[in-house]
Amino acid sequence: MATLVTTITETLRYRGKIGQYSWAFHRLSGLGIVLFLILHVIDTSWAAFYPELYGKAIQEYQSPLFTIGEFFLVAAVVYHAMNGLRIIFFDYRPHLWHLQQKAAVGVFAASAIILLPTFIIMLGHTIDFWDRPAEEREVASLMDIIGTQSQFLLGFIVIIGVALAASFVMSLINGDEREARVVPKRPSQVDAWLWSFMRWSGVLIVPLVFGHLAMIHLIGSVFDINHAGAEVVGTTAINESGRAAEFVGRRWDHLVAGVAVWRIYDGLLLALVVIHGFNGLRYVVNDYAHNKIVNRAFNWAIVFGGAALIILGMAALIAGVDETAYRIASDLSNAASATVQNTTSPFGG
Amino acid sequence: MDAKFRIRRFNPERDQKPYWAEYTVKDVEGTDTVLDCLHRIKWEQDGTLTLRRSCAHGVCGSDAMRINGVNKLACKTLLQTLNLNRPIQVEPILGLKVIKDLVVDFEPFFEHYRAVMPYFVPNTPVPQDGRERRQSPEDRARFDDTTKCILCACCTTSCPSFWASGEYVGPAAIVNAHRFIFDSRDGATNERLNILAEPGGVWRCRTIFNCTPACPREIEVTRAIGEVKLAIQRGVR
Ligand code: HEM
Ligand code: HEM
Ligand code: FES
Repeated sequence: MATLVTTITETLRYRGKIGQYSWAFHRLSGLGIVLFLILHVIDTSWAAFYPELYGKAIQEYQSPLFTIGEFFLVAAVVYHAMNGLRIIFFDYRPHLWHLQQKAAVGVFAASAIILLPTFIIMLGHTIDFWDRPAEEREVASLMDIIGTQSQFLLGFIVIIGVALAASFVMSLINGDEREARVVPKRPSQVDAWLWSFMRWSGVLIVPLVFGHLAMIHLIGSVFDINHAGAEVVGTTAINESGRAAEFVGRRWDHLVAGVAVWRIYDGLLLALVVIHGFNGLRYVVNDYAHNKIVNRAFNWAIVFGGAALIILGMAALIAGVDETAYRIASDLSNAASATVQNTTSPFGG
Repeated sequence: MDAKFRIRRFNPERDQKPYWAEYTVKDVEGTDTVLDCLHRIKWEQDGTLTLRRSCAHGVCGSDAMRINGVNKLACKTLLQTLNLNRPIQVEPILGLKVIKDLVVDFEPFFEHYRAVMPYFVPNTPVPQDGRERRQSPEDRARFDDTTKCILCACCTTSCPSFWASGEYVGPAAIVNAHRFIFDSRDGATNERLNILAEPGGVWRCRTIFNCTPACPREIEVTRAIGEVKLAIQRGVR
């Protein structure tokens, strides 16, 4: 871990050219997106399994704190994507290396050009939301946010703790002194394969994640997810109940020529992004975690965590959102007069 | 004209941790090198200042150090290329253990160098006439750039991946592997590619490009690493 501190301080002190800063931002943005992704896939699975909880999560996303975070997230995705394409280009055209400095500047410029109109539109959605009559918006309070997010933090700590304990037990059983390093005739192809994977998955993720963000942040907005009467982006349906789960359900049930396009889209995005992001995590861990037990613990946490995340996300996609849930909800709210509070939730909430 | 120096010093027998010492060298000229000034500090002001150098002309690769934040050879760095209004910062290269002041332990660096089999392994018997194995000018040009390395470690110790983990063989070792991998007469290409495909090999390179400008011989270091990566992926071309 000591080299983590060294690398941070020395990256600030070493007068490298722009590539050094591109790398630092690429790594930071990648890590930031992974962190969001973990929460996001867990949250999204609630749309299928705990619709009430999903509604609460979306209310947290609509709070000012998360809105600010969203701007950073979008910036991170755009920069990471542009810079990733630069890395990929020079990986396959190493003889053009002399263009690298210009390209790195170009990446910053291109990101700024993309982000400026994006931010203006996002700001517009945000202002529209806060212009709505107060009873039409219900955002989570800071205490709610701290309450739920601290559970995620606790979860991370528990997972890493368990992994560390398991790795320690493993070292007792195995005896880590068997160090003899043999150079295999044919080295494992895993790293070579993952290197290629990082590149082609990156190229595929660009349109997928840009499309996803465009639907959620430009065409629609985070504030439309639980907006009763709003059209569900990417479909022809209306979110009648104004429940966040209905938004997701409508999207996943939207058929084009009998094919649930958004389920397939989300499934592809899920698989690519989780493997890409978690392998990126592995790179970072192997750079800075040198203690054998710690390194192995983190690697286990990454492999099992990534697999669990994909299984959870896929399970939600396959299960879908129980349609009767929001049907009943919207019937209830339609039937209910203005005086009847919507507390008779069919979810027992 | 005077030049001020801030030098990172550390004597493990005496000091708890490294510290900055300041010196002023009087009557310098723009064509003096940083090495000249370090000599004058050592000879005229403080004989305990410890550094490594041999040829003083950019050939032996002994005096790599971090000068004003960038890895350079002190003997090839003229004062006129630096801003003399501020003290010139000189510190040891990073990632190798400091033995004393500006001298670091090169053994791990050379170990990585040796690991890539940096020697010619013939793929044909000695020619009938007993003379050299011939090669077309084009084949020779293929690896010309990477023959220039003087093993000064400027590149390897400018690399954040190497700072992060000494397990990484580093740019210099890859450059020297490149010199043989792309030599048409060499027979150990696959062995070298296999060694570099291991966890401490080329996949630790994040194409940060610190190594390329750090090279005092202007070797296209990142390009060489990139070519080795592609060679592992799809064979030598
Ligand atoms: C604040 C920004 C974001 C919001 C509000 C958001 C919103 C949503 C919503 C509403 C869904 C439900 C399904 C659908 O509508 O298609 C979803 C699914 C998904 N999103 Fe996002 N998204 C955001 C950013 C991202 C980013 C940056 C990524 C990629 C790194 C991503 C990856 C995914 C994946 C993989 C799914 C499918 C999850 C599953 O199958 O359970 N999202 N997102
Ligand atoms: C938008 C399209 C994307 C492209 C073109 C892309 C491209 C890349 C490339 C080429 C690398 C390899 C860097 C290297 O080996 O030096 C990389 C690393 C990484 N990516 Fe992405 N990526 C994309 C999206 C994402 C997303 C959505 C995430 C998060 C879930 C992510 C997380 C990471 C992480 C954590 C790393 C490791 C960084 C490092 O080792 O310094 N990337 N990306
Ligand atoms: S002293 Fe020989 S390279 Fe500088």
